[in-house]
Amino acid sequence: MEVLSPYKEATDIILEAGGEPLKLCYQCGLCTGICPWNVVRSFLVRRIMHEAQLGAVDFGSEDVWTCVTCRACVQRCPRGVEIIDVMRAIRRAVASMGIGIVPDALRISAKNIAGVGNPLGEAPEKRNDWVKDLKVKDFASGTGILYFPCCVPSYDPDVKTVARSVATIFNKVKIDYGIISTEAKCCGEAIRKAGHEDTYQSLAQSNINLFARSGVKTVVVSSPHCYHTFKKEYPELGGKFEVIHVTQCLASLIEEGKLKLSRRIDKKVIYSDPCYLGRHNDIYDEPRRILQSIPGLRLVEFPDARENGLCCGGGGGRIWMDTPKGERFSDMRVEQAAARGADIIALACPYCFLNYRDSVLSMGKAETMQVKDIAELVAEAI
Amino acid sequence: MKEIRIGVYICHCGLNIAGTVNVEEVAKYAETLPNVVVARHYRYMCSDPGQDLIKSDIKKLSINRVVVASCSPRMHELTFRKAVEDGGLNPYLYEHANIREHCSWVHDDRKLATNKAKDLIRAAVRRVYHHEPLVIKEAPLNPNVLVVGGGIAGMQAALDIANGQNKVYLVEREPSIGGHMIQLDRTFPTLDCSECILTPKMSDVGHHPFIELLSLSEVEEVSGSIGNFKVKVRRKARYVNESKCVGCGICEEKCPRRTDSEFEMGLAKRGMAYIPFAQAIPHIATIDKREERPCKAACRAACPIHMNVLGYVSLIKEGRFKEAYEVIRRTNPLPAICGRVCYAPCQQACNRGQVDESIAIRELKRFAADYERNASRIKARPVEITKEEKVAIVGSGPAGLACAYELIRQGYPVTIFEAAPEPGGLLRYGIPEYRLPRKVLSSDISYMKDMGVEIKTNTTVRNLDEIFRQGYKAIFLGNGAGSSQKMGIPGEDSHGVLYVLDFLRQVNSGVEVRLGPKVAIIGGGNAAADAARVARRLGVDEVTVVYRRTRAEMPAIPSEVEQMEQEGVKIQFLSVPVEVLSRGNRVTGIKCARVEMGEPDARGRRRIRLVQGSEFTIDADNVIMAIGQSVDKSMLPEGLVFTDLGTLDVDPVTLQTNVDGVFAGGDVVSGPSDVILAIAEGKKAARSIDAYLREEELSTGEGGQVEKLSEEEIAKLKEQFGSRKRVEHSKPDLAKRVRDFEEVEQAYSIEEAQQEAERCLASAIEGCFQCGECKEACEAGAINYDQTDQIVELEVGVIIVATGYDQFDPSVIPQYCYKKYDNVLTGLEFERITCAAGPTEGKILLNDGRVPQSVAIVHCVGSRDQNYHEYCSRVCCMYGLKYAHLTKEIAKADVYEFYIDMRCFGEGYEEFYKRLSEEGVNFIRGKVAKITDEALTDEEKGKLIVISEDTLLGKMVRVPVDMVILCSALEARSDAENVARIFTINRRADGFFLERHVKLDPVATPTDGVFIAGCCEGPRDIPDTVAQAEATAAKALSLISKGTVTLEAAVSTVDEAICHGCGRCEEVCTFHAPKVAARNGTMVSTINETLCKGCGGCAVVCPTGAISIKHFTQDEILAQVAALTEGS
Repeated sequence: MEVLSPYKEATDIILEAGGEPLKLCYQCGLCTGICPWNVVRSFLVRRIMHEAQLGAVDFGSEDVWTCVTCRACVQRCPRGVEIIDVMRAIRRAVASMGIGIVPDALRISAKNIAGVGNPLGEAPEKRNDWVKDLKVKDFASGTGILYFPCCVPSYDPDVKTVARSVATIFNKVKIDYGIISTEAKCCGEAIRKAGHEDTYQSLAQSNINLFARSGVKTVVVSSPHCYHTFKKEYPELGGKFEVIHVTQCLASLIEEGKLKLSRRIDKKVIYSDPCYLGRHNDIYDEPRRILQSIPGLRLVEFPDARENGLCCGGGGGRIWMDTPKGERFSDMRVEQAAARGADIIALACPYCFLNYRDSVLSMGKAETMQVKDIAELVAEAI
Repeated sequence: MKEIRIGVYICHCGLNIAGTVNVEEVAKYAETLPNVVVARHYRYMCSDPGQDLIKSDIKKLSINRVVVASCSPRMHELTFRKAVEDGGLNPYLYEHANIREHCSWVHDDRKLATNKAKDLIRAAVRRVYHHEPLVIKEAPLNPNVLVVGGGIAGMQAALDIANGQNKVYLVEREPSIGGHMIQLDRTFPTLDCSECILTPKMSDVGHHPFIELLSLSEVEEVSGSIGNFKVKVRRKARYVNESKCVGCGICEEKCPRRTDSEFEMGLAKRGMAYIPFAQAIPHIATIDKREERPCKAACRAACPIHMNVLGYVSLIKEGRFKEAYEVIRRTNPLPAICGRVCYAPCQQACNRGQVDESIAIRELKRFAADYERNASRIKARPVEITKEEKVAIVGSGPAGLACAYELIRQGYPVTIFEAAPEPGGLLRYGIPEYRLPRKVLSSDISYMKDMGVEIKTNTTVRNLDEIFRQGYKAIFLGNGAGSSQKMGIPGEDSHGVLYVLDFLRQVNSGVEVRLGPKVAIIGGGNAAADAARVARRLGVDEVTVVYRRTRAEMPAIPSEVEQMEQEGVKIQFLSVPVEVLSRGNRVTGIKCARVEMGEPDARGRRRIRLVQGSEFTIDADNVIMAIGQSVDKSMLPEGLVFTDLGTLDVDPVTLQTNVDGVFAGGDVVSGPSDVILAIAEGKKAARSIDAYLREEELSTGEGGQVEKLSEEEIAKLKEQFGSRKRVEHSKPDLAKRVRDFEEVEQAYSIEEAQQEAERCLASAIEGCFQCGECKEACEAGAINYDQTDQIVELEVGVIIVATGYDQFDPSVIPQYCYKKYDNVLTGLEFERITCAAGPTEGKILLNDGRVPQSVAIVHCVGSRDQNYHEYCSRVCCMYGLKYAHLTKEIAKADVYEFYIDMRCFGEGYEEFYKRLSEEGVNFIRGKVAKITDEALTDEEKGKLIVISEDTLLGKMVRVPVDMVILCSALEARSDAENVARIFTINRRADGFFLERHVKLDPVATPTDGVFIAGCCEGPRDIPDTVAQAEATAAKALSLISKGTVTLEAAVSTVDEAICHGCGRCEEVCTFHAPKVAARNGTMVSTINETLCKGCGGCAVVCPTGAISIKHFTQDEILAQVAALTEGS
């Protein structure tokens, strides 16, 4: 019979790596009950908390890498346990101390980020190639706003339209903005959640220095992940600047009357709340307000929306890891969207974009269901 | 001055102090300080030997000042003052230095801690040097006690104190005492019925000679201090005279408005006049009047039978059509008929008419009646005949029917004698079918038959004695005025001249009447309009109505005139026929003359004058005379006396004729009139007959004055309600409608009726709208809508606060879907459901009436959860077990308890847990994550699925159940902050009241003389609550038994030489101690030492420094501060 003997050193490693909050856990199991994984497979969050408390974590288990950091559990936890921090600490212990196995896909992305500053492994000097024919100036000291599109829209051919749409809109309303030089790197939010703290520190420091050197005061971002780390994590490292998500920016431009949407989009649109915009940062209304101001557009809601919104499956570094068919949240979402008769799934996050795009393609729904960033819809409606 | 000799005593407090502070070194140091005669250290200064050290030094070393350095003065300052006093000194020649909480407990470094102790002692020594002996005074304690809150805690405390023959004022905010406990069905773990064990206590409280119960009251202000509190209590207007009300409940029965019953947790309704529950104490009604009615309810006053228009209109607005119909039925025997043919004086008087357009009251009445008839819900129950005296009614027109309706409802056997083959009188034979379809008429009449009224048709009554001989004790004559008046002009006898009643009777009886292509109708009343429209329907192309006055004077209902014109009828106003023209005795037309309107006559009707030479001719094949009807004396029994006008002569008050026991009403008395006026007469006669048969005096009159809105009121209402026109409904196509006798006026649809009812100003307000129904029904005359709140002032010595808790509202937890799914309940709702006196009479039923087969009980809802309340609510595990037991026992359902930890700590509690395990309850350890109705399997369809991790199995579970009970937290009252302010109580972070010491002083508060008991201090079960209540009673009784309170000696004093009398001290003092008054010609402040608490507020604001506080003088404080800044 296997007898468990608590292994204090393991607990200490986790606590040191930022898992301090786990002490509060009283094992009610609400986290497991709320975790979206348990709709498709078993993932006992509570059990991991208890294992961590006792130093009995199985560092070799794939469960170490399962959490998508969607914050559904943290939001409702009766003891306020920062479960994501605990998960991150366990991963950090594995990644930095080699006491477990980092999944291959993640290892490659981590290597790319550390090497060339983006998870796709693309050349740094091509970071701003998405601009092509658009008139976008380089950010210089005195420029009002820095637009920071995220690595995915910068490089991924399908997602570049997101960045290009934002630039088109900004040009149209004559915003004083620019983009930063190709020295910029991945924001590091996801790789940090995936346990690669050192990589994160170096990315963040590099970006902070670049921004400071260039005189950046305000950044508009397309990715909620950039938003989150810029706003909540960079300040700890000395990076202090105003951060605005593009949906906030567009919503206020529309409300101030500076951005007029006159072209009709006669479509049924369903909006999926990105976890890092919604639960992590409480931005629920602006994206909806934008969509509702597009003439002809009919906005419908998922059964679980806003605070209860289902993750696309791409947070916490999962965007780089494989999720078997049948367990993909974005597949479930596409089904739900279809059941509600939506023509378009509207998004506000590049990671969501990738996952939903893949789901629509792999489910053979590309004919009937489009995946679009809100910025793309706005650009179409001008 | 006497030499100052100071003794210093340093306490080790075991190792609490000595572990960190070098007490020996400190003692040595203290001996070096000026005026210190002796310095000692001792293991426990608070012990008897420790205190003896002080006493002996006072005697032997003649020390006259004492400093003890030990724990907090909150703990032992009084102990050592007492020791000093026992030693023979004034207790105020003492100073306390805190070297435990301020020193040893908060520092680790022994050297630094020791130095700090030296500093604190030096400062204390320096200060004690300046201390003066103070005089300690006592004041009498008022033995009356105020208990706030009439739940189990407040009642228990009140009874304990009152049983000792002390006066208790018990103030309860709700209409009845009982609190939450009386809402509970059974109590754990013994399963005693809560009502059974609590009702006797409630009754004791209600009748106790030493308890004055102030229900529906709230404490607004408390001043004074222990022994002498002054309390202002707002006695909220009950709108019921407490001394007159007998608690019969008729007011609630009559009230047309309903709202959620608070006592039943919204699972049942109550009236706006109500007694919250059967065992309520005091057992008297309360009227839930929240605001003044914006209109004057002129509708009700204008109605000849004073129908409760507000009542049924507001019920229609709320979609409660059946109840609306019932309200109409209470006063009106013919709702569907009046909903069509009434001339609706209510509508003409409606105050909304002054704002924009009156409410379509008649249409709404018709809607309610039709809706219920169409839904086949109109079914009269046979009335129980309780009286022996038979009553005969002659004539089945509206007067006779109304009289019969009223009498049978009072239990009289009633028979109607009708000469015609069918009952209804003019309703049947006068009013055409397109205005009053026969099925509507029959429905209202058969309702009366169903009630038990016997109708004998084809029976003409000629002989009154014959009727009396048949055993009838009273007779009502409602024969009507059925003969048409003649005009008395030349040619009236010509063939083709018809009289309106004959004409209508024939048409309405189905006799074929042939008319020529042109018809002239003489007259301007409803009969004329009816004849004209009937003529159109019989195929007459050209119908002309000749009326001698203008449109404004036309007695016909304006809408009838309007419709008549729409249907192509022409009207010749200001015209009188002077001759019927004929050829060969066959009518060819009428010759008319124009008239002018002259001055009004005595009755206000303007006289008319013929205009010379204005004659003109109207071609007509038939002339229908509709100028008036009169009583057909030949149809009446013999022996009656008539007036000059040819109507029956009756007593105007009793409606009795010249024959004893024979009454009359309706057209036979008044001459031709309206349906509703006839009904009013019939009802009046019924009351009169009842009084006659019971040999009682007839009480006269009801109703009120029709009041109009003032211009200001109209302007205000316009602003408040805006303009909103009456909801119009469609009429059938004009061309079609003149071809047949289909009903013209269409009924409102449900939406239209509700929209129209929404326009009613009275219905716009919440709560009671003072329709007067209860007031009329209340035999005790207890109801008074004009009551106002009263402020009463109480003087008490002790206050006990027992204000209880609120139940946490779980609708803020989205994943539990409370209020979203019908069968998700809170604990208190479930209590009401299982209660035999509750809304389901103790049956556990789902919303659709089924018995649940499986029930989930969810623990820790809002408790032990930092998103809501971090604390454990302490009772939920146990009541959850109780629910499990009751569910198993009553519904025989499977039970799943979702718990995190079972907390069953009281007497018999663990045993109860064991018992429930034996009963087969399924325990699942896990906090419920979600409740959903989205089924994944067939088994889950139609169920609520409870999703949780079973943390002991490490597996997700989905449990399909029929009902979910949420064990909702107990939380602090929403107004706890205000209550705390009024009584000067502190609150914990969780909102509950804070006791003075959690272990050693659990019912006291920082304010002397104010105690707390029960759940206002935190969640607790009934045994703990009662124990605490008894503890507060003991505290109060101990104070009462002593009879005096020791006053604070360290009070403020005023140096009158410097005082300017500015009064700032007066403004700032919450105890009202300073008073500025003239003294030797100048204004100076004087301190009432009985009231002064020595807080020092006045000294701080005093601009001249005239005020100082004894024991805290400038000399003392500055010496202490100076010593601290020096360093050792």
